[in-house]
Amino acid sequence: MSWKHSITVRLSLAFALLTTLVFTALGIYLGRSADHHMTELDAHELMGKLVLVRHISQQAGTPEALAARLSDALVGEHGITLTVDGESGPLFNWPQGSALNELAKAAVRVGESPVRLNVDGKDFRIVASEMQTGWGEPVRVLVARDIRHHTDFLDQFQRDFWLALLAASLLTVILGIVITRHGMHPIRHIAQTAGRISAGQLGERMSEDKVPPELAEMTGAFNAMLGRLEESFARLSDFSADLAHELRTPIHALRMQTEVSLSKSRSNDEYRELLLSNLEEYERLSTIIADMLFLAKADHGLLIPHRENVELMPLCERLVEYYGLLAEHIDLKLLGSKLRVQGDRLMLERAIGNLLANAIHHTPENGSIRVQVSEEDKRAVITLTNSGPPIPPEAIERIFDRFVRLDHESEGSGLGLAITRSIIQAHGGDISVRGLLQATEFSIALPCQESAENRG
Amino acid sequence: MALTAKLQLCNLRTKRSRLGQNMGMKILIVEDETKTGDYLKQGLSEAGFSAELVRNGIDGLHAGLAADYDLIILDVNLPGIDGWQVIKTLRAAGRELPVLFLTARDQVEDRVKGLELGADDYLVKPFAFSELLARIRTVLRRGRSKDEERLALADLELDVIKRRATRAGQRIDLTAKEFALLELFLRRQGEVLSRSFIASQVWDMNFDSDTNVIEVAIRRLRGKVDDDFSPKLIHTLRGMGYVMEIR
Repeated sequence: MSWKHSITVRLSLAFALLTTLVFTALGIYLGRSADHHMTELDAHELMGKLVLVRHISQQAGTPEALAARLSDALVGEHGITLTVDGESGPLFNWPQGSALNELAKAAVRVGESPVRLNVDGKDFRIVASEMQTGWGEPVRVLVARDIRHHTDFLDQFQRDFWLALLAASLLTVILGIVITRHGMHPIRHIAQTAGRISAGQLGERMSEDKVPPELAEMTGAFNAMLGRLEESFARLSDFSADLAHELRTPIHALRMQTEVSLSKSRSNDEYRELLLSNLEEYERLSTIIADMLFLAKADHGLLIPHRENVELMPLCERLVEYYGLLAEHIDLKLLGSKLRVQGDRLMLERAIGNLLANAIHHTPENGSIRVQVSEEDKRAVITLTNSGPPIPPEAIERIFDRFVRLDHESEGSGLGLAITRSIIQAHGGDISVRGLLQATEFSIALPCQESAENRG
Repeated sequence: MALTAKLQLCNLRTKRSRLGQNMGMKILIVEDETKTGDYLKQGLSEAGFSAELVRNGIDGLHAGLAADYDLIILDVNLPGIDGWQVIKTLRAAGRELPVLFLTARDQVEDRVKGLELGADDYLVKPFAFSELLARIRTVLRRGRSKDEERLALADLELDVIKRRATRAGQRIDLTAKEFALLELFLRRQGEVLSRSFIASQVWDMNFDSDTNVIEVAIRRLRGKVDDDFSPKLIHTLRGMGYVMEIR
């Protein structure tokens, strides 16, 4: 068993992959959302500072007053950098001495939402505004927020998250293996039961109540398969037993006859009689063996009919003429229309001939037989109806089985109808039989040659 | 079996023999199975043929190339080289003598293969000896005798052209099949005709059909040509078939 095909491995890996995917998506979402949240927070703070500066600058009568009031207002603020530039130059810097460089000042435009900038290796969010002062000079104000602690937090979050993700995936694989193994238990049970079954115990079945509902269908199918196997196996062993019996009986008779005849000296006529009697038995044996071989070939799908155009009416006419010799006191009639099928003429002759011989055999004197050739649903249907006591329903079911003889006087091998069915099936046709009131009807349906007319 | 009828449509091979009897017809049997071979030889010798037996393909090929036979009976499964090879080599060497195949395999492909290679007929084991004899005679007769227009045995006469049958001068009414059956008997006087051979020749029934039919047909024919006359001409050979002759 290759690990590539192990359900446990596949399921566990699938779980892990699923977990990873879900967690990654979740992580990306959380990261984005935190980042977004912090951006909002920063923007809010920066805007607040701008409002503050605007308020103070409108109130301040001189640049010095502005600087003083701003210094007061900003006491205790960490991470905030504030620059106020008048027309003549810088008016105020916070914290003292740390002016944003000119590049940064130029990069930020007035009236826009905060911009993220890297200045001197530090991450800042910066917003700019222009406003009027109490002394009439317009000033440009820049407020920057050092966001290092935010980015640090996000970096940390990401590191932690990937570690957690790795751990979760590993855990899922392990748990997946455990759970799958546990879940597979009923399947192993089925396998064990199957392993116990051999030709001798085809009667064994899996209990369908104890299996989980997901496996009930499989168990049911498995049990049904066992049922079919049991049935065909039984039929096969019946068949082998029947075959042995069919062959043993004539061989036994031959042997007895020969031994007894040889046990003392006899006249030429007696020897002659013995040989003739033997000859008859040999002929019967040959027929049985040939028929068995034919059926064995059919069973193995080796019965491949030679395909040619076969006109059904002339074929039936010849059969009716031939077998009609046996039906002197039977009203035997052939009805029907011109129909053509693709098939093996010899095999079809044999199949229909067997049916006809069978019908004649079972029709009482002064009875009647109708052979009808017709077309139904684009199929050629040959129906043989013979009068006579109907076949009992239990016998009808088995009538196409091998070695089934409805009467014990019958001389045939008991394989005729089985052969007929094999031939019809090999031609892709169907054969059926039904008992009517005081009559029996056999019906053969063969695929009809569609464009019979076109092909001339 | 199937082929007799079909084979009669095959190319007729010209034969030199002119005698109606089997006497002097040389048959080569190539058969590796000891008992079958021995009894084939005995049976054919007793039927008036001059039969020779070899037990493998190589000997069969040598014999077939060296001597002039009227017919070869060739088993398909042979030690050394098989029957297919033998017939191929013989045909390649320009030997046009008729070949009759024997085989245990009754597969259609075999049949087709045999015919393609130029076999004249084909018998599947187990077969009846009388069947084999009938086939041999059919093959040997092919292209030889002009079909005679008038056939007769004792006071039974058959005019094939006019479709008239008489016995002791009396007109006998026959159905078409009865006429065909009687014609077959008259053309094959003295030969044992098996039931399946008759079914195949007269009714074109080429499968192992219920041969009770032939019994009924013979009974009816006897009723018309034999029952009221003497001597009896149609005789039953138990386990083998029927023969028409004066006994």
